[in-house]
Amino acid sequence: MNSQRTLAFAGGLVTAALALPFAGLLWSTPWTRLKYAQGDIAALCVSVGYTLIALLIVMVLGTPLAWWLARHRFRGKWLVDALVLLPLLTPPLAMGLLLAISFGPYGWAGQPLQTLGLMLTNTPAAFVLAQVYAAAPYYIVSARAAFENVPRELEQIGLSLGRTPWQVFWRVTVPLSALGLAAGVALAWVRALGEFGVVLIIAYFPQGIPVKLWVNLQDLGLDAVYPLLWTFFVVALPLPLMLGLASRRQPVY
Amino acid sequence: MRLHCLLHTPVALEVALPLDGFTVLLGRSGAGKTCLLKAIAGLLPARTEPWNGWPPQRRPVGYLPQGYGLFPHLRAWQNVAFALNGARAERRRRAAALLERVGLREFAERYPRELSGGQQQRVALARALAHEPELLLLDEPTSAQDVVTRDALLAELVDLVRAAGVPALAATHDFHVAALADRLAVLVDGRIVQQGSPGAVFARPADRKAARLVGVSNVYRGRVVETDATRSVVEIAALRLAAESCAGFAPGAEVDVAIRAEAVTLCTDGKGWPARVAAVRAEGLQHRVILDSAGLRVEALLAASLSAPPLGAVLRFDVAPGHVHLMPARPES
Repeated sequence: MNSQRTLAFAGGLVTAALALPFAGLLWSTPWTRLKYAQGDIAALCVSVGYTLIALLIVMVLGTPLAWWLARHRFRGKWLVDALVLLPLLTPPLAMGLLLAISFGPYGWAGQPLQTLGLMLTNTPAAFVLAQVYAAAPYYIVSARAAFENVPRELEQIGLSLGRTPWQVFWRVTVPLSALGLAAGVALAWVRALGEFGVVLIIAYFPQGIPVKLWVNLQDLGLDAVYPLLWTFFVVALPLPLMLGLASRRQPVY
Repeated sequence: MRLHCLLHTPVALEVALPLDGFTVLLGRSGAGKTCLLKAIAGLLPARTEPWNGWPPQRRPVGYLPQGYGLFPHLRAWQNVAFALNGARAERRRRAAALLERVGLREFAERYPRELSGGQQQRVALARALAHEPELLLLDEPTSAQDVVTRDALLAELVDLVRAAGVPALAATHDFHVAALADRLAVLVDGRIVQQGSPGAVFARPADRKAARLVGVSNVYRGRVVETDATRSVVEIAALRLAAESCAGFAPGAEVDVAIRAEAVTLCTDGKGWPARVAAVRAEGLQHRVILDSAGLRVEALLAASLSAPPLGAVLRFDVAPGHVHLMPARPES
């Protein structure tokens, strides 16, 4: 009993410590003097617009890979696993440098792409590229776990009821892994929207919210970050919160 | 329909069967029965006749796995409608008609988790029938039910399958299921060692493994001591029992002997063989009495109308020659 109380007390303390910065934001925000700095609205549009595009790319490319990893065994699978995790384990700033080395104006891939008209430095394409690299591993890992939780047998029954593998995927696999997929999307959304390190190196422009926050802080001081900071929370959190709550309401099969 | 299936992995298996009516494939757990059914459904690589090389979605089979495999995110009618094409209202109407056929019309809106095991099984049957199969495959149809309701549900299921007019192959280790079959096939060591009517197979199992599968409690190694035209005498340890139909066993031949527990009778007239009562178990409306006859364990199933003999009592038992079944001697596993 006593040790339980100690544990509860320690847990409460840690939770409070974790919440402290957020309470501090509430406390310190100069509510009466909130005013967007120049370019804040543009940064908001850049962030939301390009993050949606990046998210779409991550889902379209990541879903088949996740399904493949969940459903197939093959030699050297550990290598694919490691390669998927590599961008996730690499510090963001280093990841940005790696992208600059390859896709920068003098990079081995950047140069030929540039002659084809695709410039991957300080362009919307570069911005999306950075976000995709930052978010894809999170989505792939979550989606794979979600697919692995769908009983194989249910997919097989779907087939034996005359449905094609494609129909079975949409009518059995996706509904039964929806929660895990949603968690993956939410995670990828937050990662992509909040990505700073990777974006900073290869896409300083166009400026999304994270880079703009940093610029505001450098150029104008702490007071200039509050409006955009609040905007960031308002934009970033509803999607993951919604998906999280939905998963709690969902019946357990 | 004649079925042939050759499977190499994960178990080596070769099965050839005529399929009409309700056929039961009886085999031990782990004998590869599930693999066989999946192979027939095209879900495991194998040679199958008919439908060799067809992908599962083109095979006209209805597969009911162990645990029934209903889609947990779909209501009962949506499960049934999974295989149906057309407008939603039309699919719904046809699903309702199929649910009606299995007596579950009023459960159409329920999710699988809100249905009992037996109800789930019938929804799975309706769903399989919606696909208009030429063959139904049932994996362990009694596995998810408790003993009390099992027999009733099973009889109902078999009636439904018969009414559907589709040949069915049920794989099971449960000889209670086998007793309801039109035709019974016994799977031992990857091949069918015996097939025929359940009555014939139950009475005359091909060898000791088949005997165990059809629920024979007493299987012994014995030796034929004398034969004539109609009967023979077999020696099992200190016992000497008369057997009908000695088919092909010469005196001195080693044989396996199968005696159903139901065929062991207690004697009150001083004939028969002495034995001591080692254990008594209630088994439904019967007593299973374990006898020890000079070290030989003999199981007898007695009607409950007879009072169970007390433990340790010494009594006499016998077996009618018609129930002493001789089989070629096989190594004990």
